[in-house]
Amino acid sequence: MNRRHFLKTGLQWGVGLWVFNPLLVLSQTSLDSGLQAQKLMTARNYSKAVELLKKAVQQDPENDWLLGMLGRALKGAGHSREAVKSFRAAVRLNPEDTYSKMMIDQMTQHPLPVPAKKPVKKQTPLEKQAAQEAELILKKLKTPQGLDYQVRRVVIDAGHGGFDPGAVSKGGLKEKDITLDLALRLDQMLKKQGRIKSFLTRTGDYYVPLSARTATANQHHADLFISLHINAFTKPSAHGSETYFCSQKASTKEAARVAASENAVLKYDQTARKSPGHIDIEAILFKFEQKNYWNESGRVAKIFQQGFKKELPLKSRGINSADFYVLRKSKMPSILLETGFISNPQDESKLKKDAFRQQIAQSVVKGLACV
Amino acid sequence: MRLIIILVMILIGPSVQAGHDIDSIIFKAADYHYRGQLDAAVLEFERAIKIAPDNHFARNQLALLYAKKERFDDALCEFSKVASHESHNTFALQWIGILKLKQNQLEDAFQNFAAIIKIDPAHAEAYYFLGSIYNCRHNPAKAIEYLQKARDADTDEAATHYRLGRAFLQAEMPLNARLEYERALAINPKYTRVINEIGWIFYNQGALDTAVSKWRQTLKINPQDREAGLNIAKAYNELAWQALSAGKRKEAINFWKKTLKVNPRNKAARYYLKKHGK
Repeated sequence: MNRRHFLKTGLQWGVGLWVFNPLLVLSQTSLDSGLQAQKLMTARNYSKAVELLKKAVQQDPENDWLLGMLGRALKGAGHSREAVKSFRAAVRLNPEDTYSKMMIDQMTQHPLPVPAKKPVKKQTPLEKQAAQEAELILKKLKTPQGLDYQVRRVVIDAGHGGFDPGAVSKGGLKEKDITLDLALRLDQMLKKQGRIKSFLTRTGDYYVPLSARTATANQHHADLFISLHINAFTKPSAHGSETYFCSQKASTKEAARVAASENAVLKYDQTARKSPGHIDIEAILFKFEQKNYWNESGRVAKIFQQGFKKELPLKSRGINSADFYVLRKSKMPSILLETGFISNPQDESKLKKDAFRQQIAQSVVKGLACV
Repeated sequence: MRLIIILVMILIGPSVQAGHDIDSIIFKAADYHYRGQLDAAVLEFERAIKIAPDNHFARNQLALLYAKKERFDDALCEFSKVASHESHNTFALQWIGILKLKQNQLEDAFQNFAAIIKIDPAHAEAYYFLGSIYNCRHNPAKAIEYLQKARDADTDEAATHYRLGRAFLQAEMPLNARLEYERALAINPKYTRVINEIGWIFYNQGALDTAVSKWRQTLKINPQDREAGLNIAKAYNELAWQALSAGKRKEAINFWKKTLKVNPRNKAARYYLKKHGK
């Protein structure tokens, strides 16, 4: 096998080069130590073998043969956790080392002994600052038990803006103006209440690309993304409120494309966790997160729409799932609210009124309290 | 080769005591597995558990192979058999948890990982998954608690530092987040997700140039990283708008031009440059 071959060629080269190149004294010594350790292990003198092999690994840290042997010696000496670490290091250097791989798999079937505490190192300036920050914040941080989804930070997205007016009514009322007004009201209410932090994707009449809106949500690590919109339809009779959320079923082709592009990023991240089967655990976690956010979006959408049904003088058109870019690209639950039809004369006249807009904002705040 | 097989037999210990044949089969199966010959490995491990149904190592390996071959139900079934016979087999419990995550069964997955830390209070992986689940539920206090334990049990995992950094950001602790992100980068300097996040930390602190340099660093590693490009575009667009609002038209134009360099199809920059650029 590899190890035998290594030993054979290693010996040939080692002896050869020893004669011609005195600079290779160190690698020859580590080989010697390895051979000596093998003898010690045969005699079951594991602690002495560990001592010898640790020195050899220090001299030659890229030698998978020594690391594999150190793993065996450590295991023999009863240091299972350290042994697994050594076997892992060996496998990292030589992925074809079947023996070390098998040892890892075999030894990690059951609990490994608790590791000894490491000596405390001198803190770096950043570590000191971080410790101070932790001292200040961690005590105050609420610790909800259970697995309920927590919402403390919300990004409010006023749909359209600038050269993109969104839907425009016959009377000239523009969707972009209503959504901005609603967003500002909502932001003000939340700031006054102080329970939930809010962030806006735009604060004036300018165009913000869709990609920048989701980037804002990701920038602030928001717990919920709310995109505000006003509906429109060619038939003026269509009216009422509805809430959208992104779901897996919305677009399978697109979902596949997105997944492929996310996987392309994973390739560079190289974060596949050490696992016995080398299954991409990070990809499993990523998909779990995504599904979890989609489920949560559906739940939140339901809460908001129920609130609209109760509190707004609009017909409830229910909740729907669809493939909206702003919803799909956020790394959090996301919903899109359509509070009325600008193309419907009755809804339009309501949307013109301050009191009605205030009612919508209040209903959203109430909804947030129930999430 | 013979020497290694003998050593394996000695070291595998009591779980493989069904005789010399079973040891050889297991080693052969493991060798196929590690060499990527999954079908051959499945056949050998199936043979092994027919001879020794109580060999938990072989059954776990078979389950893992089923998972690799996307036979997830079969995998879950085999891991569950091991866990029911040997309640402290943390390997089986961990994989049951992972497969439950795959099935989106949050509570079940959580219970499995929680069971592992009762058996092994230093199980880094179990803490990692518990912390990640809390992260996903946006419960930063619990996520920090568990991910710190995962980090302390195994400091060499870049992904643990990354997820802990995210939990700190959710808790509005940017210094701790940066510290964890830097630890992740010390392990994996090409961890672009981490570099992008560090960019936002600097951006939120008003250090725009450093933020942009971080996103550019990502683009050097992976020119296809859309997120980094879009982050730069967003930053420049916002600065352009601020400059224009303050009456600094030339500065605004400069920022829009910069936006288009990284994101040539950026609608906002194209429109406003056309409008104010003359």
